[in-house]
Amino acid sequence: MSVLVELGGVRKSFGARMLFDIAHLGIEEGRSYVLTGPNGSGKTTLLRMLAGLEPGEGSFRFRDSLVRFAPHYPERLQRMIAYVHQHPYLFHTSLRHNMEYGLKCRGVATKERRRRAEEAIAWAGLAERQVTPPESLSGGEKQRAALARVRALQPDLILLDEPTSNLDKEGRAQTLALLAQLRDERRTVIVACHDQEIISLAGIGRFHLDDGRMQ
Amino acid sequence: MNLLEPTRRAFELLLQGDPRLLEAIWLSFWTSVVAIALITPPSIALGFLLAKRQFPGQRAVVVLVQALLSFPTVVIGLLIYLLVSRRGPLGFMELLFTPGAIIAGYMVIAFPILVVFTIAAVQGADPRIYETARCLGASRWQGSVTTLWEVRFGIGAAVVNGFGRVVSEVGCAIMIGGNIEGLTRNIPTAIALETSKGDFSQGIALGMVLMAVALGVNVVLAMLQGKGGLR
Repeated sequence: MSVLVELGGVRKSFGARMLFDIAHLGIEEGRSYVLTGPNGSGKTTLLRMLAGLEPGEGSFRFRDSLVRFAPHYPERLQRMIAYVHQHPYLFHTSLRHNMEYGLKCRGVATKERRRRAEEAIAWAGLAERQVTPPESLSGGEKQRAALARVRALQPDLILLDEPTSNLDKEGRAQTLALLAQLRDERRTVIVACHDQEIISLAGIGRFHLDDGRMQ
Repeated sequence: MNLLEPTRRAFELLLQGDPRLLEAIWLSFWTSVVAIALITPPSIALGFLLAKRQFPGQRAVVVLVQALLSFPTVVIGLLIYLLVSRRGPLGFMELLFTPGAIIAGYMVIAFPILVVFTIAAVQGADPRIYETARCLGASRWQGSVTTLWEVRFGIGAAVVNGFGRVVSEVGCAIMIGGNIEGLTRNIPTAIALETSKGDFSQGIALGMVLMAVALGVNVVLAMLQGKGGLR
């Protein structure tokens, strides 16, 4: 498998405090990974840096391009790397419009957009909740909708921040099933989490960030 | 003073659709609507910029806009009068004592209200809105439009508030409108004039219209605040 993302000499500090200094990290294309580490180790910050939402020192290689972190993060990469918040935000419009949003930004034709949005809603198991206002969905349903929304865009890299935190047993099981599907579809995914069930999913690569170092 | 008789007469005027009354009501409404329609887009754009972007002098602009909020409307009327009077720099436009001058005054009055409300709405917006939009591939412009759409009820409250403010405005309208019957006489200026003439029934009738507008504006505001998350 080819390497999609390669980090070398990536640092993040807040004033004098160094959060992490990652000497090397390679992400293979078509593979899922979990990023573990204690609270405050910088898992979320690292994902946000990769998504262009957070500034940082150093750069990373994305395929053959050398990419600098925000504020120099290239616009085109924003459409290749998709990040989902720990508590995902769904726009206050219909579920279908949420699914269509990114496709519309990419100029996908209306008919194709509708088809992919419907497919995404079905993939998330939310076909019966289509008319429910997104703010009325449960935490688990929101998480699944957010996963389906980024999957519909077919990005090169999906970054998920604690997708099962604060979910009940049923919500966790459903989200886990979708994560397993993403793995089986050979999507490139990095999941920051503490969840043992995700960590122990078969066929997933593991990284541990602790004390500022990647292990 | 016997209030019953003028009140009864006021109801009569309203029910009969007194032409003078209707003229003042119509002028008030259309000038307010046009002024709000013209000033809303630039005010929202400036409010968004002040809330989201940092640039030199930003704080000074915010302070200036906030100061405009407490500017007496009669002073705004005076400034516009000086600008559009025959010897003023905009005298060639021949706006003085026309509905156009009233609209200009209303725009200046509504501007800081719209900007300040927009700043509050955008600053209070969930930061995940813009980030989510960007992560889904939106350009900066698309992300900004999405943020505004998500706080649309707050922006709507700004527009309704601005309308409520200008439709009942009197000082500026008298200064630059001149209170000319059939041309620039609107609800508040007509109330002031008719009351000074001792014709309370006209004043009461127009006052009732204005109070109904104020009530309507507040009902719409409450509904928008409810939709925006306030309960």
